[in-house]
Amino acid sequence: MMYLPLANILHHKLRSFLAAMGIGIGICMLITLTGLARGSLNEVADRWESVNADLIVLPSGWGEQVSTKSGSGLSDGFAGVIARKFADQVESIVPVFLWRISLAGQDQMTAGIDAADWATLTGDRPLTAGRMCDPDGRASQWLAGKILSAPAEGEQILDLSAADLGHPDHNCLELVIDERLAKAGGYRVGQIVRAANHDWRIVGIAPEGVITRVFMPRRTAQFLFASGDVSRSTLMFVKLKPGAGDLGVIARRMRDQTKLDVLAVAEYRGMLTRSFGIMFVYVNMVNVVALIIAFLFIMVILYTMVLQRTRDIAILKANGASNGFLIRQVVAESILLTAMGVGLGIALSFLSAWIIQAYRPLLTVVIEPERIGWAVAAAGVGALASSLYPAWRATRVDMAAALSLE
Amino acid sequence: MIDADHILTARGLDKSFGRGPGRVDVLRGLDVTVRRGEFLAVMGPSGCGKSTLLHVLGLITPADGGELAVDGQAVGMGAAQRHALRRDVFGFVFQRFNLLGVLTAADNVAISLRARGLRADGRVDELFEAMGVADVARRKPSQMSMGQQQRVAVVRALAHRPKIVLADEPTGNLDSANSNALLDLFRRINRDHQQTIVMITHSAEAAAAADRVVHMKDGRILETSR
Repeated sequence: MMYLPLANILHHKLRSFLAAMGIGIGICMLITLTGLARGSLNEVADRWESVNADLIVLPSGWGEQVSTKSGSGLSDGFAGVIARKFADQVESIVPVFLWRISLAGQDQMTAGIDAADWATLTGDRPLTAGRMCDPDGRASQWLAGKILSAPAEGEQILDLSAADLGHPDHNCLELVIDERLAKAGGYRVGQIVRAANHDWRIVGIAPEGVITRVFMPRRTAQFLFASGDVSRSTLMFVKLKPGAGDLGVIARRMRDQTKLDVLAVAEYRGMLTRSFGIMFVYVNMVNVVALIIAFLFIMVILYTMVLQRTRDIAILKANGASNGFLIRQVVAESILLTAMGVGLGIALSFLSAWIIQAYRPLLTVVIEPERIGWAVAAAGVGALASSLYPAWRATRVDMAAALSLE
Repeated sequence: MIDADHILTARGLDKSFGRGPGRVDVLRGLDVTVRRGEFLAVMGPSGCGKSTLLHVLGLITPADGGELAVDGQAVGMGAAQRHALRRDVFGFVFQRFNLLGVLTAADNVAISLRARGLRADGRVDELFEAMGVADVARRKPSQMSMGQQQRVAVVRALAHRPKIVLADEPTGNLDSANSNALLDLFRRINRDHQQTIVMITHSAEAAAAADRVVHMKDGRILETSR
């Protein structure tokens, strides 16, 4: 026998489809928005965790905001202090100058690094095309020499023009970008791109998953974005020697002795999530509102259905249907519509993720089974809740009045 | 008031609709009894309260006053008792068949059984055969003639072996051939299975099929014939 709720759904195909679509859009929003927020954060966290180092050293007070910090914050001199005080534990120290430049239509976190530190920062992952920026340190030496040797009384030390910076002899304006950015912007090795008021030459393509999407010579970054102060970086990565000891203990000692913030690289994900916690609040609020609207929509449809089918309900009651039987029919119809909506919503989520990543390749949407599970659970609760009032109304149908309508 | 010979006994039934000046008294102290296995026809002009009487007797709507006994039980206002009696004792046939349009003929019968906690068995197939509608069992009401729909409605009313079949103008929408076939069917099930039938009708021809005819006017039984 054809199940009555299913027969009703199949009989009113357009209305059922619209109802399911209403739920599907809500479910799609829940899965996609959450997947976008979590996917983007996790992608950044994964990249930072790929760094072949153990600790991050930052200016005091920057720790919790590490994911949002850039510019000059930390004297490079601390590298020597830490190396000296923790000579038994520290294997290498990598200063990084972080800044944001706009490429492919959006801000990109850019790491100013010394070419020699590439191995530590990326786990020695080879470039997929081209070469490292300023591979032999010529640009850095030229810039440092120019600036550090210049300060005679009254001399303008920061008179280097863009043309000087980009001169083939020193190649200060070189960029390495990752594959994803290259794909998003259609960039290739040798291409000149305009960013931060300068023309940069792309000299290499890095594999996806390295700490930032853009790399440039650290001295260039310091010179351009720290007003010529080539003595300060944003943070330092510290790699410890094998068997150096407990990470937490070393971090605490380093904090005590330098008065800087020191955190484990593994802590970055948590810091990032906390920094953007408010974003999840917004996303969850939007999700809740979308689901409430979707289920109000279902409730209105079921309620209208009950009002339209009073004769059918009266027939069922006259034929022995109990209140429980009627309630089960309405709830089952709601659950079936919701199941269709969930199916549509999941399919729409994958489609949305594909569209987002096709048109915005730098965004990451991760559709996690756990999120789908939550969406299904929320939909189940919503289906039940939205059907209760219409179901109750079905039990209140006046048989005599409904049958007299004939 | 409870009488073993009578499957339905009503005393002083009152029923009105509306309030104040717009109030309409539809049943006014109506008395009626139906014997077990009897085929009773109720006739009367439009608006005399025939359908309301059927609804009150079939526990579709409660009376405002009076007493009612069904199958040896005095009927009160308790929803559980009314529901149980309606489910177990009665089968309904309506003027406009009242089949569920989204279900096939077979499913219309099956769902009324399921609503009663029963399952369709071979008897249902026999009923479809006996009513001459086995060939339309997989069709929806919109794909059947009126006569076929009414016969399916009869199958539905009989499928759970009710003690009483209440039929409200069952021939009202049928042509004479289908009407005669339906009345033959009623006579047959009444004769063969001693099934009690209470039939509301305008038609003297239809009423002639019954064992007894009661005439209603203004909410009361005026006379009984045969």
